Amino acid sequence: MTQTLPKPASVHPLEPFIDRLLSADALLPHSETNVLEVVGILKSYGVVLDAYSKNLIYIADDQFLVLFPFFKYFDGEVSVGKLLKHWWHDRINFEYAEYCMKAMLWHGGGKMDEYLDSEEFLDLARKAATAKTKANPLVRSINAVFPDFLPEQVRQLAYYSALGQFWRVMSDLFIDLSDAYDAGTVKTIPEVVAFIKAGLVAAASNPITYRVEIKGQTYDILPKSAGLTFLMDVAVPYVEAVFFRGTPFLGTVSYNAQADQIPAEQGRFQYGALYADPIPVGGAGIPPTLLMQDMRHFLPDYLIEFYLASGRGLDDVRVKICQSFQKSMFCVTSASLQGLLPYAADTPNPQEQVANRTFLAAWMDRLMTSRLDVVQL
Amino acid sequence: MLSALILIPIIGALAVILWPGNITAFTAKLVSGLTIGLTLVGVVFLATQFDITTPGFQFEELLPWVEPLGLSYRLGLDGLSLPLLAVNSLLGVVAIYISDPHLHRPRLYYALILLINGAVAGAFLSANLLLFFIFYELELIPLYLLIAIWGGARRGYAATKFLIYTALSGILILGAFLGLVWLSGNTSFDYDSGLATALPLAQQITLLVALLIGFGIKVPLFPFHTWLPDAHVEASTPVSVLLAGVLLKLGTYGLVRFGLGLFPDAWMALAPLMATWAVISVLYGSLAAIAQTDMKKMVAYSSIGHMGYVLLAAAASTPLSIVGTVFQMVSHGLISGLLFLLVGVVYHTTGTRDLTVLRGLLNPERGLPFVGSLMILGVMASAGIPGMVGFISEFLVFRGSFLIFPVQTLLCMVGSGLTAVYFLLLVNRAFFGRLAVAPPSASPQLDVDLPGVTWRDRWPALALAGMIVVFGVQPNWMARWIEHTTLALHEPYQGFVQASTLRLAPLNESLVADTLVTETSIPAVVDASVLP
Repeated sequence: MTQTLPKPASVHPLEPFIDRLLSADALLPHSETNVLEVVGILKSYGVVLDAYSKNLIYIADDQFLVLFPFFKYFDGEVSVGKLLKHWWHDRINFEYAEYCMKAMLWHGGGKMDEYLDSEEFLDLARKAATAKTKANPLVRSINAVFPDFLPEQVRQLAYYSALGQFWRVMSDLFIDLSDAYDAGTVKTIPEVVAFIKAGLVAAASNPITYRVEIKGQTYDILPKSAGLTFLMDVAVPYVEAVFFRGTPFLGTVSYNAQADQIPAEQGRFQYGALYADPIPVGGAGIPPTLLMQDMRHFLPDYLIEFYLASGRGLDDVRVKICQSFQKSMFCVTSASLQGLLPYAADTPNPQEQVANRTFLAAWMDRLMTSRLDVVQL
Repeated sequence: MLSALILIPIIGALAVILWPGNITAFTAKLVSGLTIGLTLVGVVFLATQFDITTPGFQFEELLPWVEPLGLSYRLGLDGLSLPLLAVNSLLGVVAIYISDPHLHRPRLYYALILLINGAVAGAFLSANLLLFFIFYELELIPLYLLIAIWGGARRGYAATKFLIYTALSGILILGAFLGLVWLSGNTSFDYDSGLATALPLAQQITLLVALLIGFGIKVPLFPFHTWLPDAHVEASTPVSVLLAGVLLKLGTYGLVRFGLGLFPDAWMALAPLMATWAVISVLYGSLAAIAQTDMKKMVAYSSIGHMGYVLLAAAASTPLSIVGTVFQMVSHGLISGLLFLLVGVVYHTTGTRDLTVLRGLLNPERGLPFVGSLMILGVMASAGIPGMVGFISEFLVFRGSFLIFPVQTLLCMVGSGLTAVYFLLLVNRAFFGRLAVAPPSASPQLDVDLPGVTWRDRWPALALAGMIVVFGVQPNWMARWIEHTTLALHEPYQGFVQASTLRLAPLNESLVADTLVTETSIPAVVDASVLP
C-alpha cells in the first residue's frame, strides 16, 4: 500500500509560510542585509529593553500605589542633572514601556489575566493597599467610595512587574544574540529564529511573581503559588497585545472611529507591531517614535553604516529603524509560533502534522493583513 | 545707467555663447548667475538713487535711432517700472540658480535666459512705444525656444501655441501704437501721456480695444488664456518661474502704462466693461483651477485669476487701486514664482504632479516637510491671508476698486475666496494624509523612499517666502517707490473717481484716503464743496 501525505483540509493563502515555519525557517526571508538589520536592531532593542525593564520593575516595587509618581522615571536617583536631562528629552522614553504595559493590561490573556480577576488576588491586593494607605485618609476615603480603584491600580502594577520581568529575559537574550552574531555563530535568519526560540523555550517555565515591601513587611501580589510562567502567561499575552492587537503602533488599518473602521471586537484589533506602518513614524509624540528614538542612540556601527548608505542616510533613521524593527519582530513571532507548536515541527504523525498546520493556519489568518507581504520584498 | 540693465545680460548672453572652447554647464550657470546678479545690484543701486517724490521718468537716456520712423532709444525709470525691474532681476537669479546643473546645451539655455532678462528689462525701461514693442517681441523667441527645447512631452505644441498667441498680441499692440501716433499726427513714438487727447473718443476706444486684447493675451485674460496652462505644464521649472513671475507682468504693465496712461478718456468709457471682464477672468481662472488635478496647471490657472485683479484695479483707477496694480504685479511675481518653484521641487522629487496620486508630502521623515511648509505659506499668501504680501495687494485692489465698481469688486473677492478653495484642495491632497507618490496597488509595495531635498533647493524658495512675509508685514518698503508715479497716473481720472463715487453714496475724504499713501500726498479726489 502506498504511503500518502495527509491531505490538508484546505490550502491556506499563506501556506508557504506555514511550510517555512514547519521546516525551521522564518516568516522573514533570509538575506545578508536582513540578518544585519535584525541582529543590529535587536542589539539596540536589547539595550533599550534593559532600561525599560529596570524602570518597570522599579515602578512596580518602589512606586507601589504612589498615586502621583513624579519621579517614577528616575529609578530612585533624583538629581538636578538627571532632571535637566529629563526635561531636555534626550533620554530613554519610558513612556513607551508604559504604553506596552497598558496594552497588556487592556487586552489581557493568559492565566495572569484570570488570576488578576480572582478573589485570591483581590484579597492580596487589598491587604497591600490597606498597608500602604494606612496613614492616608484621603486615599482611604476615595477607596471607600470607589472600592475598585486601588485593586485596579494594583493590577496595573502587576503588569508593570510582569512586563519588566519578561523584558529582562528578552534584553539579555537579544544582547546574547548580538554577541553570537559578532562571534560568527549566528549567520542566517533561520539561525536567528532558532536562537530566539531556544531562549524563549529555556525561560518558558520561569515563574512570574510579584511582591512588594511596605514598611518592612513583604506583601505577595502574584505569589509563586499562582503558577504564572514566563512563556504562556506573559510572553504569549505580550505578543498578542503588542505584536498583533496593539495600541502603540499606528497601523496599516485605520483608526477612524467615525467611519466605523475600528473593529467592534477587541480580539480583531490589528494595530500591533506586525501591522505597523513605518511611514507615519517621525511625528512628535507618536508612541513607536519614542521607541525608535530610544533605539537610535544604541545602534551598532555596522547598522549605522547600512542606514547611511541608503536613501536619506540618517535623516529618516527612525523610519528605517521601524522597518528593521518590524522585520525583527517577524523573527520573534516566528520563534514564538515555533515554540508554541502543539507538536514537534518534524513529527511523523499525520494527526499531529494536521494539528500543527491547523494551529499555524489560525495565526496566518491573522497575519493576512499584516506587513508580512512587504517584508518579503 | 539704465542701458546697463539691458546691456549687461545681453553681453552675458554673448559671452556664454562665444565662450572659447568647451564651456561646462556649471561655468555657464555661474557666468549667467553673476551677470543677472550684477543687474540686481544695479537695480538696487538705482533704487537708492531714485527720487521717490518725482512722478515722471528718471535717469532718462535718449539716443536718436531711426528718426524717420520716430524710433528713438529712449529709456526712463519710474515707480511703476522700478519694482518690476527688481522682480525681473530677482527671479532671473532664482531661475538660473534652480536650473538643472546637468542640462544639455547649457550655452544656448543660459544665453536665452539672459536674453529674456535683458529684453524684459528693456521693455520695462522703454519710454518709446516702438522701442517697447521691439523689446516685447525680443523676449518671445527665447521663451519659445526654452519651452520647445527643454520642455516636457508636448513641448512643441505648447511652444508653438505660445508663439502664435503672443505674436498676435504683438501685432495688435503694434497696430495700436502705429494708429495712435499716426492718427494723432505725431512723428515720434516717444511716450507722452497726452498723445491721444486730441483724438476723437471712437478712435481712442478702437485703439484701446486693440491694446487691451493685445495685452490681454499676454496677461492672460479669459478667453485669450489657453496658451498659458499648456506653456506652464510643458516648461521646465525655471522657465515657469520666469513666465509667471516676470513675463506675464509685461501684459499688466502694458495695460497700466499704455492703456491707462495713454487713453484716459477711452479708459473711462471702457472701465465698467473692463471691470466686468476682470470678474469673468478671475472667476473663470479660479473655477478652472479647482477642476485641475495637475499641480502646475492649478497654479497656472490661479495666475489667470490673480492677474484679473490687476485689470479690475486698473479699471477703477483710483489712487489706491493703481498702487494696488503694482503691488499685485509684484506680489503675484513673488508668490507664483515661489509656487512654481515648489511644484518643481515636488515634481523633481516624486516624478509626478498628479493630485490624484500625491499624498502626505508633509511627512516629517520621508516626505518634503520643508517644501510643504513653504507651500502652505505660499498658498496662504496667494489666498490673501494677512501677514503676507498677497493680503496687502488684494486689500489695496479691493479697497481701491470697491467704491467705483462695488459689484465687480465683490465678485472678484469671491475669486479670492475660491483661491483658498483650490489651494486648500492642493495642500490637503498632496501634503496631508499618509505619504504616497503612486496610486494604491493590490500588490505589496516598498515603503515610499523619496530622496531628500537639499538646502541648495530650499534657499531660493526660502528667500522668496521671506520677501513675501517682509512685504506683507512692512508694505511701505515697497509702496514708497510706487505711490508718486501711480498718483500721477491717476490724475487724469480724478473726475471719474469723483463722479462714480458720488453716484454711489455720500462720501467723505477719509474713505478714499488709504492706509499706505500719506494724506498729504493724496490730491483731494472729492471736491469738498459737493459733500453734504
